[in-house]
Amino acid sequence: MSSTRREFLSAALIGLSPKTDRAVAGGFIDDGHQIGHLLRDRAPFPAAKQTIKIPIVIVGGGIAGLSAAWRLEKRGFKDFVLLEMLKQGGGNARWGENEVSAYPWAAHYVPVPGKKAALVRELFEELGVLRDGVWEERYLCFSPQERLYLHGRWQEGIEPVTAATALDRAEFTRFAARMNEFRATGQFTIPMELGAKPSPLDRLSMSQWLDQERFTSPYLRWYVSYACRDDYGALAKDTSAWAGVHYFASREPDEKGPITWPEGNGWIARRLLQKLDRYVRTGAMVHRVTREGRRLRVSAGDTDYLVERVIFAAPTFLAPYLCEDAPAVRGFVYSPWLTANLTLDRLPRERDLETAWDNVIYDSPTLGYVVATHQSLRTHIDRTVWTFYWSLAEGSPAANRRMLLDKDWNFWKEAILHDLERAHPDIRQCVSRLDVLRLGHAMARPVPGFLASEERRRLTESSGNLLFANSDLSGFSIFEEAQYRAVRAADSVLLHL
Amino acid sequence: MPVVLFLSVALIAACGLIYELVAGTLASYLLGDSVFQFSTVIGSYLFAMGVGSYLSRFVTRGLVARFVSIELMVGLVGGFSSAALFLAFAYTQGFQLILYAVVIAIGVLVGLEIPLLMRILKNRLEFREMVAHVLTFDYLGALAASLLFPILLVPKLGMVRSALLFGLINAGVALWSTYLFREELGGRTLLRTACVVVLATLGAGMAGAEKITQAADNNLYADEVIFARDTRYQRIVLTKWKDDVRLFLSSHLQFSSRDEYRYHEALVHPGLASLPGARRVLVLGGGDGLALREILKYPDVASITLVDLDPEMTRLFSTHPYLVTLNQHSLTNPRVHVINADAFVWLDRSSDSYDFIVVDFPDPTNYSLGKLYTTAFYRLMAKHLSAQGLAVVQSTSPLFARQSYWCIVETLKQAGLKTYPYHLYVPSFGEWGFVLAGLHPFEPPVRLPSKLRYLSTSTVPQMFQFPNDMLPVDAEPNRLNDQVLVRYYEHDWREITH
Repeated sequence: MSSTRREFLSAALIGLSPKTDRAVAGGFIDDGHQIGHLLRDRAPFPAAKQTIKIPIVIVGGGIAGLSAAWRLEKRGFKDFVLLEMLKQGGGNARWGENEVSAYPWAAHYVPVPGKKAALVRELFEELGVLRDGVWEERYLCFSPQERLYLHGRWQEGIEPVTAATALDRAEFTRFAARMNEFRATGQFTIPMELGAKPSPLDRLSMSQWLDQERFTSPYLRWYVSYACRDDYGALAKDTSAWAGVHYFASREPDEKGPITWPEGNGWIARRLLQKLDRYVRTGAMVHRVTREGRRLRVSAGDTDYLVERVIFAAPTFLAPYLCEDAPAVRGFVYSPWLTANLTLDRLPRERDLETAWDNVIYDSPTLGYVVATHQSLRTHIDRTVWTFYWSLAEGSPAANRRMLLDKDWNFWKEAILHDLERAHPDIRQCVSRLDVLRLGHAMARPVPGFLASEERRRLTESSGNLLFANSDLSGFSIFEEAQYRAVRAADSVLLHL
Repeated sequence: MPVVLFLSVALIAACGLIYELVAGTLASYLLGDSVFQFSTVIGSYLFAMGVGSYLSRFVTRGLVARFVSIELMVGLVGGFSSAALFLAFAYTQGFQLILYAVVIAIGVLVGLEIPLLMRILKNRLEFREMVAHVLTFDYLGALAASLLFPILLVPKLGMVRSALLFGLINAGVALWSTYLFREELGGRTLLRTACVVVLATLGAGMAGAEKITQAADNNLYADEVIFARDTRYQRIVLTKWKDDVRLFLSSHLQFSSRDEYRYHEALVHPGLASLPGARRVLVLGGGDGLALREILKYPDVASITLVDLDPEMTRLFSTHPYLVTLNQHSLTNPRVHVINADAFVWLDRSSDSYDFIVVDFPDPTNYSLGKLYTTAFYRLMAKHLSAQGLAVVQSTSPLFARQSYWCIVETLKQAGLKTYPYHLYVPSFGEWGFVLAGLHPFEPPVRLPSKLRYLSTSTVPQMFQFPNDMLPVDAEPNRLNDQVLVRYYEHDWREITH
């Protein structure tokens, strides 16, 4: 008898205890893969209803496409359109917004540019981020910037220090010294093209280079690998050592950064889209680019554009599916990613440290999360949005892309909450919504040999009337490279028009 | 007869569940980690019930008398369990020991109840029917209790009185049983007397429940707590000892009524009295209305805007009889406009300018509050100053937090303002510092409002002199992207307390 009563008592208590899991709303965000796969599968598209003659078309409304448009307009050229496949422009800088905050869907910061990054500075002066040589304080990432969950507690900064041995610390010091030497060579620049020279580093993977240099500290190796996963979506063993070194040796910020906003680089995209509104056509997927005499015919939806020049700012791997006689793109590797935005209507309990902007869990396959409300001027914040980043670096990109499509939302939701639970045991009581964006070809991956790649060089130098402008031509997808490639393409188009 | 009997089964089942809920909830409230607390409380409680059930076999004679005395014991221990646990938390180091001792004691007693009762009923009903009915009412009672507890008891009665109420029910069932089973009961008078004594004791506890809770809260603060409320933003506590009323926000002392005049006169008058033409004043923070009281001494000031985050705070200081005497009804003065908003965001969206701005925020104990002490904030503040305007900033102690104080001065300078640091002694705080800042040179006032208790025109200039142990030290400016102040502050106060 008492056994049944016992069960009843426990059941009654479980119902009352505050620790029950709550329902989480959410789903997948439209990532354009369905519409994109129509191209891959060579699906038939309807014939055009109208043909418009125009000198220039920009394909792709991400940072590269928008930067090309920004450059054309700045140089006084106004006779062009920009065609974006999705309903919202921005590409990897796209963003979202809900009743709590604006938040990024992918790229979420720009490192404070050094003096050499003239174009980035020019844009930032235009947008009020840089005024008379001073960076606007509210766009610089607020304190505390980063924290790492290691050995069951949060520590300040991402470089592991909790329980670090003298050996670990010595290796970090030696590593920093080596990176300073590389920086001094002037070969590791942003934009990369300004300094890059053929290098034996490109024949090694980053982990081979660490072996060669006898870096054995597990903390250091985790840290380097984290950097590769974060910027390239690849493990250190799959990253060219040249790119791995570039991550650490290229940046010389003259201010504590990075530069960021609640909606990440969506802040930039939003302003560029506003400025360039009259050139941008969204929901306009280009499905064919064919030669017609000396011109090109660009087919998008029910409209054909008859143009002199095309700036191809969409990911370069798409070109062979779209363009008649486009060069093959075989050597380019792209990393699949997953991002999620979690709406928290209450904050998890914190014991050690205040929530930072970037919050990383040691030894997790994921990259951690960024807090959208961190850049808020408010002192009291009781609801927030976290953007969770996961570069699927383990295993082959193709297999991971398949997994991205095969698994349902619930699978990813559980995986994400499970990962966060390690550092936030009460996370399931805090999350009211969790939306997931799957990016099959999120960013270019600088594999060993990418720097020396003949194919990459040919596409970079391509002339004629089809010019490539995506950041993947640099081997890695960062804001500065996208902008640089696009501005160069725009200049070249204007030169030959 | 049977229905009445089964009703008492439902009642004692409810009592048993309530005590378990009270213990689990209290442990979660006071210690946190609710899963662990609930889990261990349920576990030890159920185990103890098992022990009680086992022990029931050793009760062989005088079943009804034993049942009645067990009910009385459950009533006493369970009824006072919540009060005992609160006091144990406030006054002893061994809260957890007492928690589990109480849980096990109640569990053993509750475990004895039903087996004994079934044996009492054994001869009155058919076994099949009896088991079915006893269990049905047992579960019904538990259901009622589990619903009542979160919906009605905790919000309406609170933990202490809920437990006492169910203690009374247990004792009531005991008294009632002496009538229900009177044929099988000898020594009824003695038992009934015991029942009345227990009922009276629990009733007295019920009447004094308020005092018990207060006694527990009082021990956490040195003085008597006269008001305590958790708002969305902070915990507001007012304490009183003789004529000294103190305000604590999230455990940080904000003022003592004995010497707050020193603080607030020094905060307002050196700056405002030097601006004879001042018409518009802004107060950021200062929801206690005490800075307002000082500003209202200037008849030429036409409008004062006060921005404080917490509406509960401004409501309390607009309505509490003692507090409105202290701030002289300043918050409800027609010249005053109260706005409840986050100051940085509000200022960012406002385009008004002011002749005098009082910045009276809590100390920069964390990065969230630290934002209110940055170059970005002070630049924004400077934009809202009229041409000849001045701002005064509460800047923590130049003695105890010397680097923090000079960091605030440096931050104001970096924001393009001329700074005039000064300090005074406030007994309940110690040495305290302010900084006047403006775009134009400041001259100490030649006239002050009449009837000030602390300041005089001759003592004002002295406040701008710093003795050797408070002289400037090197400090970086505090910036949103590099909040050195929070680190200085933590370091400064750690030095003091170690």
